[in-house]
Amino acid sequence: MGADSGPGAPAAVPWRKVLYERQPFPDNYVDRRFLEELRRNIRVRQYRYWAVVRETGLIAQQVSCVAVFLTVWSYMEQGDLVPSAVLWVCLSCALLGYGLYEVLGGSCVRERTRLVDLQSATIFLAFTFGFSPVLKTLTESVSTDTVHAMSAVMLLAHLVSFPYAQPSLPGSLSLNAALFGSVCLASRLPGALHTFTMLSCALLVFALWPCLLHRMREKAEWSFPWAAVLVCLAGVRGLESLWPKGALLLSLALLTLTLLCPLLLVHLQRHKDNIHGPWDEAEIREDLSRFLN
Amino acid sequence: MVLKIFFPQCCNTADSGLLVGHWIPGHNSAVVLAVIHYPFIPGQVKKYLSELQSQTQVDLTVLGSWSMPKEGKEGMDSFLKDLSTIFPQKCWLQLSREIGKRGFICQVVQNNGKLLQDREQKNGDEGSEGDKIILIHYDQRKVMLSQLHPVQDVGQKSDIEHSELRLVFQTVAHSQPLFFLDKYDDGPLKLTHWQSEGREASIIAELLKQASVPVCIFLTWLLSLWHWFCSFRILHLYPVLFISSKLSTCVQSGYRAVHFKTVFSPKKAATHMEFMRKANIFVSFLLDIALGLLLISWLYRENRISKLADTLVPVADRVAKEFFLYHIHLWSSYIHLMSPFIERILWYVGLSACLGLTFALSVLSDIVALLTFHIYCFYVYGARLYCLKIYGLSSLWRLFRGKKWNVLRQRVDSCSYDLDQNTADTTLFPLQLFIGTLLFTILLFLLPTTALYYLVFTLLRLVVVLFQGVIHLSVDFINSFPLFAIGLRICRPYRLAEGVKFKVLCQEPGTPLHLMMEINPLKCSSVLQCYRTPTYSCYPKDSWAALCKKLFVGELIYPWKQKTDKTD
Repeated sequence: MGADSGPGAPAAVPWRKVLYERQPFPDNYVDRRFLEELRRNIRVRQYRYWAVVRETGLIAQQVSCVAVFLTVWSYMEQGDLVPSAVLWVCLSCALLGYGLYEVLGGSCVRERTRLVDLQSATIFLAFTFGFSPVLKTLTESVSTDTVHAMSAVMLLAHLVSFPYAQPSLPGSLSLNAALFGSVCLASRLPGALHTFTMLSCALLVFALWPCLLHRMREKAEWSFPWAAVLVCLAGVRGLESLWPKGALLLSLALLTLTLLCPLLLVHLQRHKDNIHGPWDEAEIREDLSRFLN
Repeated sequence: MVLKIFFPQCCNTADSGLLVGHWIPGHNSAVVLAVIHYPFIPGQVKKYLSELQSQTQVDLTVLGSWSMPKEGKEGMDSFLKDLSTIFPQKCWLQLSREIGKRGFICQVVQNNGKLLQDREQKNGDEGSEGDKIILIHYDQRKVMLSQLHPVQDVGQKSDIEHSELRLVFQTVAHSQPLFFLDKYDDGPLKLTHWQSEGREASIIAELLKQASVPVCIFLTWLLSLWHWFCSFRILHLYPVLFISSKLSTCVQSGYRAVHFKTVFSPKKAATHMEFMRKANIFVSFLLDIALGLLLISWLYRENRISKLADTLVPVADRVAKEFFLYHIHLWSSYIHLMSPFIERILWYVGLSACLGLTFALSVLSDIVALLTFHIYCFYVYGARLYCLKIYGLSSLWRLFRGKKWNVLRQRVDSCSYDLDQNTADTTLFPLQLFIGTLLFTILLFLLPTTALYYLVFTLLRLVVVLFQGVIHLSVDFINSFPLFAIGLRICRPYRLAEGVKFKVLCQEPGTPLHLMMEINPLKCSSVLQCYRTPTYSCYPKDSWAALCKKLFVGELIYPWKQKTDKTD
């Protein structure tokens, strides 16, 4: 490599790593300081296990959210849950959550007034209620398997594209995918009121809950793990009442996600080998003709 | 230097006399037009020639002498030499023919007395090997009537040098007055040319020519009446204009009015192209009328009109019943209302075929358009709905992915949410997002239904459009096909010439080369290309790819748009 042996370099003028001055060296000449400025792993963070576990709680709780949603849907489809009851529960949860949100974020300047919030909520509810008969018969011509497959894909997409790093802003794709999937599922329910209830529930679970969670994390750090654990337990329990094996699978998945993956992450950090730095031009001195045969 | 002499075939067996013709300027060739026989008075010959020159603008001169010695008239040779002093020329041709031999003997006497002979054996130091004479025989009548293509207008390009062949054809064509004297005229001169056996004339042709002028004037007056009627203000209102531009009957009648103006103008056609155009239009029109009368005679025989009316009512009824209920009701009531009148209407409409087959076809096209108007309506509904849906879907799909359409930059940008509390981009969060997603879902699931309706109506509309297109193309074909020119090409191919071909007649030593000139007729494809009447052609204005794209997106298609200006 062109480190030391430069073509007849006069020792009088020292070589400088600049190209805007004419030097008696060729442009790709580097002296013995070749790759001196190379840096390795400058941005590698040192993870601590329990911190990572704490962060993973967010992913786990999001998966459990989906599980809760599916449980509610399943009960409604079987007819065990009355839609009006679910509706009342959703409404009270929404009000509770709104109140909590306000309490936690008291010191911040509000960018949206309460009137605007009320307005958007009313419009959304009216719109969904008006369109629920249409939504109910939307997938009548589609077979059940297709509907289930579509919803599964959409909810998976929601999980994959969820902005875990900045959950306060619901990423467009994740929210849209979740709503699409919930519309597909809701259209299989027996009545128009069921559809409306399902959509309100979906809005609550997928759009409003992450905002509240983020606010809780910001303001009351201690409450976040408890909330995550609560949601996970609710998910597992709900699934268990429907399909015990599924619950087992879910709990296994959650445990893997929460406990095993951070371990893997921390363990593999030491094998990280990133190189950064200003690059120097290399001159190949080897005989490369052996690669041609 | 090669001297070319164009000799008419009709003079091959003429008696001895003087050769009258024209030297082609710029080329070393001469065209012989006629032979003036003995006895003659040179003064009268000169007077006659100068009269003809002023009539025909062709520079007619005495070219030389022609001798075909019969028994008892041998002593002409010395007589011929004397004549070259009476009619001074720069070259004096002496053509002679012996009975029994095929070839002519040609001698050319130059002004300075030098003698040129075409002999096979020459002495070495004569040095005149380049001097040859070629005699080209031509059929005078055919060359006179023929038109050499590509046709050049007289007015333009008069300064460009014409080719030798074109000049020959022009000379023979312009010297028609020379051929008016035949052997039955009692004049001082006796000529031999293609018409000298007797002028062709027919009484019927003469009567027609005389009668055509007042007939043309009368018809032109009728046409002006029609134009005056069409120029009424009330007919220029926008709705009437719009409808009349859509109905092909009105278009075809307007087109025929233009044709008639060309054909019935009392002015004689000045150029060849004008004449051909007039003749083409006239013959096409006659054929059109003939076909129309044929159609009428077939249609009105055996009570076909009432049979058609009987089948039309239930068919129209049934067709209407297969579509939307509201339109069904409208249409079936309309049809039942009309059913007593349909036979009458069809009878009178069918009579319009006496104005020509093209008229009948245009009326048929309009009837089809009127009857399938509901298909057109449904197609428009379906297409608009589908188009809106596709548009809505595409923009909501962008929303789904989290991108916006940047109108300023005409591109798709991702929606960026500002974290800053003061300038939060709250336009898309949360309400519009939810509603957008819901709408997207609804549109997506309704897409198969709408697409199917659109497909069905589009297919029906395409069938109708195809049918109308076929009719229009055939009308266009009848309008523009140059029937007269094709007939001329088939029956009298020498009238439309593309060039000439030469055949060697006699190549004996001691005589000049004899060639027979035959006219090469124009190829049929060139005839079509050259003489097509310009039409308002309605070729499809979209290519196949553009058509498919329009169908996919849901834009309305009008494939047979009429071009507003003529294509020549």
